[in-house]
Amino acid sequence: MMLYSVNRSLERKTKLHQILHHPYFGFFALGFLLLFVQFLRITGVNIPITVLRGLGLTMIYIIIALGFSILLGYAGLASLGTAGFVGIGTYLIGYLTNAKGYSISMILVIGFLGAIAIGTIVGFISLRIEGLYLGIITLGLSEILNEVFKNATAITNGTNGLLMNRIVLFGQYYQFNSNTIFIAIVFILILVMVLTLNIMKSPTGRAMLAMRNSESAAQAMGVSVLKYRLLAFIIATVYAFLGGILYMTYIGFSIPTTWNLAFSLFVLAAVIVGGSQSIAGVVLGTFMIFGLDLAVFQQITFFQENPDITFILNGVLIVVVVMFYPGGLARLLINLKFKITNLVKKLMKKWKAYKYGEDD
Amino acid sequence: MFNETKFWNTFIIIIASLIVVYAIVDIFVLRKLPKRSKNQTTLINGLLILGFASIMVLLIDSLGMFLFLQTIMDKVLGICVLALATTGIVLIFKTSMTTNFAQGSMATLGAFFAARYILYLTATTTLTTIQKVFLAILVSALVAFILGILIDVFIIRKAKHVTSVGKQMITMGLVLVISGLIPVTFGGLPLEIPRLSYDIVPVTLFGQSLSIPQHSIYALYLTVIVLVVLFAALRFTKWGLGVRATASNEIVAKMMGVNTRIITAMSWAIAGALGGLASVLAAPFGGQVTTGLMVSYQVNGFMASILGGFSSFGGPLVGAILIPLLQGLLFYFSNLWQNAIVYLIILLIVLAKPLGLFGKKIAKKV
Amino acid sequence: MAKMIDSIFKLYLTIKIDRIETKIAFLKEYQPILIDTLKEKNDKKLQKVALKHKHQLLPYAIQAGHIDDYALEAKALEIKKVEDQFYWHHRALKQALKRNNNQTAYDSKFALLTSKKNDAIQAIEASYAVSSDLTTAQKAYHLVVEKQKIEYAKVKAKLEEQYVTFSTNKKRLLDEKVSYLNKKLEIALAKFNHYQSGINSLDEMIDQDTILKLDRLSMHFGGLKAVDELSFSVKKGEIFGLIGPNGAGKTTVFNCITRFYKATSGQIFYRNRLNEPLNLNQFVVHNVIKEGIVRTFQNVELIWELPILENLLVAGHTLYRTGFFGQLFNIRRIRREEMIMRQKALKILSDLDLLAYQYAYPIGLPYGILKKIELARTLMVNPQLIILDEPAAGLNDAETDNLALTIKKIRDEYQATIFLVEHDMGLVMEICDTVCAISFGKKLAIGTPKEIQSSQIVREAYLGGE
Repeated sequence: MMLYSVNRSLERKTKLHQILHHPYFGFFALGFLLLFVQFLRITGVNIPITVLRGLGLTMIYIIIALGFSILLGYAGLASLGTAGFVGIGTYLIGYLTNAKGYSISMILVIGFLGAIAIGTIVGFISLRIEGLYLGIITLGLSEILNEVFKNATAITNGTNGLLMNRIVLFGQYYQFNSNTIFIAIVFILILVMVLTLNIMKSPTGRAMLAMRNSESAAQAMGVSVLKYRLLAFIIATVYAFLGGILYMTYIGFSIPTTWNLAFSLFVLAAVIVGGSQSIAGVVLGTFMIFGLDLAVFQQITFFQENPDITFILNGVLIVVVVMFYPGGLARLLINLKFKITNLVKKLMKKWKAYKYGEDD
Repeated sequence: MFNETKFWNTFIIIIASLIVVYAIVDIFVLRKLPKRSKNQTTLINGLLILGFASIMVLLIDSLGMFLFLQTIMDKVLGICVLALATTGIVLIFKTSMTTNFAQGSMATLGAFFAARYILYLTATTTLTTIQKVFLAILVSALVAFILGILIDVFIIRKAKHVTSVGKQMITMGLVLVISGLIPVTFGGLPLEIPRLSYDIVPVTLFGQSLSIPQHSIYALYLTVIVLVVLFAALRFTKWGLGVRATASNEIVAKMMGVNTRIITAMSWAIAGALGGLASVLAAPFGGQVTTGLMVSYQVNGFMASILGGFSSFGGPLVGAILIPLLQGLLFYFSNLWQNAIVYLIILLIVLAKPLGLFGKKIAKKV
Repeated sequence: MAKMIDSIFKLYLTIKIDRIETKIAFLKEYQPILIDTLKEKNDKKLQKVALKHKHQLLPYAIQAGHIDDYALEAKALEIKKVEDQFYWHHRALKQALKRNNNQTAYDSKFALLTSKKNDAIQAIEASYAVSSDLTTAQKAYHLVVEKQKIEYAKVKAKLEEQYVTFSTNKKRLLDEKVSYLNKKLEIALAKFNHYQSGINSLDEMIDQDTILKLDRLSMHFGGLKAVDELSFSVKKGEIFGLIGPNGAGKTTVFNCITRFYKATSGQIFYRNRLNEPLNLNQFVVHNVIKEGIVRTFQNVELIWELPILENLLVAGHTLYRTGFFGQLFNIRRIRREEMIMRQKALKILSDLDLLAYQYAYPIGLPYGILKKIELARTLMVNPQLIILDEPAAGLNDAETDNLALTIKKIRDEYQATIFLVEHDMGLVMEICDTVCAISFGKKLAIGTPKEIQSSQIVREAYLGGE
């Protein structure tokens, strides 16, 4: 039997090269970078708390956006209900901790099951309604949830917002320590990115892509549209719930006006601006849409005085990226890398021509 | 005056019995017949009409004729504004295949210009309020009209290869830009738009003496005129034919000699103008003009569009009439949940009829 | 009631048999790949050792006077390196002269450069000179050769032993597992046959050597009768052609068989891998492929966002046995399955001469290649019945000839029955064993290509009456 060469990357490389080109390398690098920032703060370097807070929030939004990228980039389903689902996550942990004193592991299990239930319902809806119609229907769903957040005062404390300042772990109450939670979020982010990459590269990811490209071909190849639509929605909802739970643990406050249409649209924008099929793109896009504003612009006095300018910048960014780079920032980066290598080659050629003269 | 619990009990019983009837007929009768899907559609249509009629009867019964009619009178303005906004959204959906999130923002920008213009008119001239507001409406519509053309020419036209979700994102970016630009341009000034008239007119209908604001009547006239002209244009002019051709297949339309560029630009412009008109009509009721002026109309416009179905112009109009009406009527029974219930009803209807009440199905070839 | 329990039990058995079969297939495919991987690795190691030895030996060989081709080559390479260096330095000097026009500096530098170069070349020549003390040099040379031979043999023996133990172990394990599974399979099959003989009434509906049988199939769209009471059967292992003028309902027949459309009335019978008769009307679209029916599409329906190799892997979707959580955590089993599927896909690609396109994306490839890739995709699932919807549409003559060869090759090598719709009469008459002509959903004639060619009714249907 003859063995076909399977993959270029399986060819023997040096150890360093192997590590640098490992698919998970980027995730761990990003994680260590964030941990380093936190470490600097703990050791007493003067990093404003708002910067750290912005980074922490951005990480939570990256988790939410990653679930959304599987939904949009792989299964090809556009949803505008993200805000509602994240909101449920926040109120779930807030209510269960404050009123019932459930431990966080218990809440995670409940949230997981709840997310599966809700994802299944929305998945079934997506079987009947497609395309932009689905987007509007999920928008309606999100509006309904928002009304629930506003009006179910017994659980959500209505428009005043729900406060949560301690969590239960192993039967004991703990006060918040945002440094510890930041570190926990970094590790969860790394785990989520690794798992997401596994899904994207697995037969499941391929089946979803097939479904997005040509539903009839996918069905003829044995891909059950029902199963993978449900799965995509369940993944996205689980990520959104996780994001909501982390948000509540980190910020400790949730108010219905946060979970409005704008939030869903911002998540959508982050995924599209970044590039819906690559994790690096989603990370970059989320940083552009949320992180720049939260961690960078708010430190600059000019933007503090003119908060509307950030809106305009964000809007222009979205419009320009979507118009000229439909593949998102990930594609832009690849193009940029290509251009830089080309430029370096050109410069080398010029230098050679200067030193050695033109070719004979 | 009316019994809340009884109303909700009957309401839930009506909806549940409709679902049960549907399930029973579908499982025990339709499964055994050939041509199931066709019969299914007929059944759903019948049940929807039945359900709508019985809910209306229930509402009239529990509210009493006076409150029922008075609510309709109160909601005339809301219906007019929503109808204008929805028509704009559908027009853009037809020609550019995207849901325009910037519809509300374009209109709001128009309203700001209008309010600024009114301030200017008050300072320099001695016109009456109605004249000023009427001029302001023209200014608002004109601003939104030009903005629509600019958006299409400089952005949407250039984004030909972007997917419809991508175009949606572009309109979302425009929302951000516009809502950032407004405070920068008009910052600091408290801007207000007065009503066309502050009179309240008594009306007698079905033996009930009701009242309606004069402003609503003017708004109704304006809306009806504008929409009739627009629908006539869609039906009888070359532009209308072009819009319909572009909606059904842009590439073929282009090959047949339709100038899709002008068609799309005009659609954006007219959608903007409709929004501009709507925003000035709606603005007096929110106190000062704010950037969030049209947000609720925007969301309701989308819901109305899918309730009626994007494939026709009349369907969304029916949706635009039903949504404020239902919200207004249900307000008496639950002043917290009326929006949520209306959205839930829409969700159920759209699940039963995925292409909306009046949508037409386009068969796909494998 | 008893019948229902029987059918449930039968379903359970089918699933069990399916699982055992795929397990056996998995083991049989995976073990040789594993063994081959080790062999490849060992070969590479040996080559590396040999190369290392050659380098070590070179100075001894030169001193001992064994100047062979390898030594000469090495020498030439070294000299060339020096000359190259000289060439570039010289060019830089010339360029500098052009710029500064300083002839004296140039002359002195050039002289220095030349002398340097000559020195270097002389040094190389010296290092490649035969030693004056030949006998001791030769002695040293032989000593090293002996040492290396022993070392090489040692490494080789070690690797070989490792290989032998590994492969025998693996083979033994495989045999054990396979025989165990086979026993289980036999038991399951016996039970299955027992139940099948007891309750199956479908057996009479479809002959033993027939793979597909349409029985009075009708499909109506509103008032239009796209397919009207059509009946025919396809024998195992043949190439069956369905022809007819445009709008005759050929593609509709395909869509009914693959369950994209639900037939208005009529039955479709099919015999699967276990020779079990099935009624396809009871299947859902995505389950049809599990019984071995694969189709292509009239317009190429590939996954444009995936490279060709992964397009084939999508087609193998139903063969994966690892569940979602296995894939989520990327466990060893899914990695192994991926490896096997990739090997399988690559084998199919090389069979159809498509190996060069494995990393390419479908966008921009010629239409003929895309059609061929669709064909390759059908082979991923060990198909029983391949349904081709106008495989030659849009191809030129050369591509069509190539396609005819490919289809025959697939039939012979993969033992699949092929059922095709085609407008290209040349292709149909050349490759088909049986041809069925339909018009307006009704059967006109069925028979060998020659019979169809001479049929009056068919001619009328194509060219119009009278």
